Amino acid sequence: MSITIQNVAADTAVVCIGKALDFRNAAEFKQACQSRIDGGTRSFVLDFSGTGILDSTGLGAVFSLYRQLTPLGGQVVFAAVSRPVQVVVQLTRTYKVFRQYPSVEAAQQQLLSRSTSNGSRAGAA
Amino acid sequence: MSQQIQFQDLGTVVEDLHGLFECWEDDEAFLPPLDTFTREVMKLAIHEWVANLVQHADFSDRTPLIQLVVQANGKSVRCKIEDNSRGFDFDLQLARQHDKVVETTVPPDRGRGLLMMIACTENLRYHQPSPLPSADGHHRLEFSISASKKPWIDIPF
Repeated sequence: MSITIQNVAADTAVVCIGKALDFRNAAEFKQACQSRIDGGTRSFVLDFSGTGILDSTGLGAVFSLYRQLTPLGGQVVFAAVSRPVQVVVQLTRTYKVFRQYPSVEAAQQQLLSRSTSNGSRAGAA
Repeated sequence: MSQQIQFQDLGTVVEDLHGLFECWEDDEAFLPPLDTFTREVMKLAIHEWVANLVQHADFSDRTPLIQLVVQANGKSVRCKIEDNSRGFDFDLQLARQHDKVVETTVPPDRGRGLLMMIACTENLRYHQPSPLPSADGHHRLEFSISASKKPWIDIPF
């Protein structure tokens, strides 16, 4: 169950969760994200397309990432949420914390446009 | 509608379990009467308990045996998961999880499985022979999930 991460911008990465994020690979997920944070990544798009299980340990790892990023001005968003993951999101009301997008592309577009907008405002100031 | 299956390899039981879930979906084994949400909650609860067994159960020198029985009855489903481990003090572990997760300012990354199971199931019971640890007894977790109840898990993450 390998998790793949790809930076689509200097500070934005897409994490392809794959079939599962659970007790078996939560540590791998955390380590992979940590290395990106150390390299300056602040926004993470979690691609849940095809994910068959997100258990309590996996969700805990996602929240751990969220708590680490929030003080840094970063964010975690969900994309292409599969049916099993959507049920977990509803059960835990996680939709109140993590914005969801129908696709990775939609998430990237929104995050990158915000990043550009912030940069413009900073430049104008 | 009833399904019964046994697992004996702790190294592959979770993968085998989810392969079984996929077969059930393909075969529409529980359609009707269980709706999608109820089926997914059922799978999550079963996964959480099996994950608990894989990570924490003491099977000593015996060949692990995990038996899953799922019975759909009307718009509810009843699950029984029996194992031949040495068992554990369910109430004590639940209390410890509660203290670590709920009674804390910084929630831990792990240790919510039992709390999640309690929150999203009904009539959850852990049957164990006494005294513990059990040398040759079987332990059984039972719970039901009703389609008429839409649970939500109020646990800090």
